[in-house]
Amino acid sequence: MKKLVIASLLIAGSLLAESGSSFENRKGVAPATDSLYLKECGSCHFAYQPGLLPSRSWVKTMEKLNDHFGTDASLEPEENKKILKYLVDNSAEKFTNYKRSKKINDSIGKNETPAAITKTGYFIKEHKGIKPKLIEQKEVKSLSNCMACHTKADKGSYSEREINIPNYGKWEDE
Amino acid sequence: MVKAVFALLMVVSFMQAYELNAQMKDFMDSLLTEAKKQNPNLKAFDYARGEKIFTAEQMGKKGNKISCVTCHTADLAKKGLNENTNKVIEPLSPSANPKRFSDAKEVKKWLRRNFKDVYNREGSAQEQGDVVTYIINKK
Ligand code: HEC
Ligand code: HEC
Ligand code: HEC
Repeated sequence: MKKLVIASLLIAGSLLAESGSSFENRKGVAPATDSLYLKECGSCHFAYQPGLLPSRSWVKTMEKLNDHFGTDASLEPEENKKILKYLVDNSAEKFTNYKRSKKINDSIGKNETPAAITKTGYFIKEHKGIKPKLIEQKEVKSLSNCMACHTKADKGSYSEREINIPNYGKWEDE
Repeated sequence: MVKAVFALLMVVSFMQAYELNAQMKDFMDSLLTEAKKQNPNLKAFDYARGEKIFTAEQMGKKGNKISCVTCHTADLAKKGLNENTNKVIEPLSPSANPKRFSDAKEVKKWLRRNFKDVYNREGSAQEQGDVVTYIINKK
C-alpha cells in the first residue's frame, strides 16, 4: 500500500513537473510536428503552425476547405477530423506561453474570426514597414509565403536576425 | 538488319505503357468500368484526349487563364510551381518522380481538387482515365 502511494505521488509529481516545464515562456510559436498535418497542409504552402491562429479560426478554415482561399483543398472527412483536432489542441490561445502566439491572439478582437494570419492586427503591424516591391517580387509573391523571408519559420522561429529577404538581405530595423 | 532490329526495339519501347502498381491498376480499372457505363462505345483510355484535357486553357476563378500546365509545366519531368502560393511542385511524371501514381488515394484526391480548380467541376471517369494515361506515358 505504502509503495503504491509513493508511486502515485511520484507519477503526480512528474506530471506536474512536465506540465510546468512545457508551459515556461518561449519565443516564437510551437513547431508543427503532426505528420498528417505536415503532409496535408504542407502540400500547397508552408505548414503554418497551429499556434499562429486561435481555434475558432481553424474551425472556420476546416469547415470550408473545398473553397479555401479560392482553391479546392478538400479532405476526406476522417482526415479533416484528425487535422481539426490537432489544430484546435495546439491553437494560439492555448499556447500563450509562446510569445508570438500570445501577441497574435491578443491582437484579435473577441468578435473577429480571421482565416488568415496575415489579416491579424499583430501581423499587419509587424509587416507594414516592408516595401511592396520586396513582397511582390517573384521570389516572394505574397506575405503568406513566410519561408521566403523567415529562414527558420518551419521551426516555429520568427526572430529578426533570421530574416533574409530575397534581393534585399538581412533586416535592420529602420 | 541490325539497324532494323534496333529501330523495331525503339518503337516497341516507345509504345510500351508505363507499368502501374496493383492499387493503381485497380483504380484505373474501376475508372474504365465507370466510364463504359456512361459511354458504352468506349474501348480504352486515350493519350491524345488526355493531352487535350491537360493542356487546354480555361477561364479560372480569378479571371486569368488556367490549365494543368499552369502549375505542372508542359515538361512533366521538370519541377512545377504552384501559381497560387509560389511553392515548388515536384515533377508529375512517374519516370522522373517514382512516388507519383503509386498511391491511388493520393491520385484521387488531387484529381478531384485540380479538376475543380481548372474546370470548375469534377472530372468524369473517362476524363480522369484519359488524363492519367497521358501523364504516365508522356515521354
Ligand atoms: C490545394 C492547395 C492547398 C492546400 C491543400 C491547403 N491550402 Fe491553405 N492556402 C492555399 C492558398 C492558395 C492560400 C492563399 C495563399 C496566398 O494568398 O498566398 C492558402 C492560405 C492559407 C492560410 C492563410 C495564410 C495567410 O495568408 O495568413 C492558412 C491559415 C491556411 N492556408 C491553412 C491551411 C490548412 C490548415 C490546410 C490543411 C487542412 C491547408 N491550408 C491546405 C492553398 C492550400
Ligand atoms: C517579405 C518578407 C516577409 C514575409 C513573406 C513574412 N515576413 Fe514576417 N517579418 C518580416 C520582417 C522584415 C519582419 C520584421 C519587422 C520589423 O521588426 O520591423 C517580420 C516580423 C515578423 C514577426 C515578428 C518577429 C519579431 O521578432 O518581432 C513575426 C511573428 C512574423 N514576421 C511572422 C510571419 C509569418 C507567420 C509569415 C507568413 C504568414 C511572415 N512573417 C511572412 C518579413 C516577412
Ligand atoms: C493550382 C496549381 C495546380 C493546378 C492548376 C493543377 N495541379 Fe495537379 N497538383 C498540384 C499540387 C500542389 C499537387 C500536389 C503536390 C505534390 O504532391 O507535390 C498536385 C498533384 C497532382 C497529382 C497527384 C499525383 C501523385 O501521384 O502524387 C495529379 C494526378 C495532378 N496533380 C493532376 C493534375 C491535373 C490533371 C490538372 C489539371 C486538371 C492539375 N493537376 C492542375 C497543383 C496543381
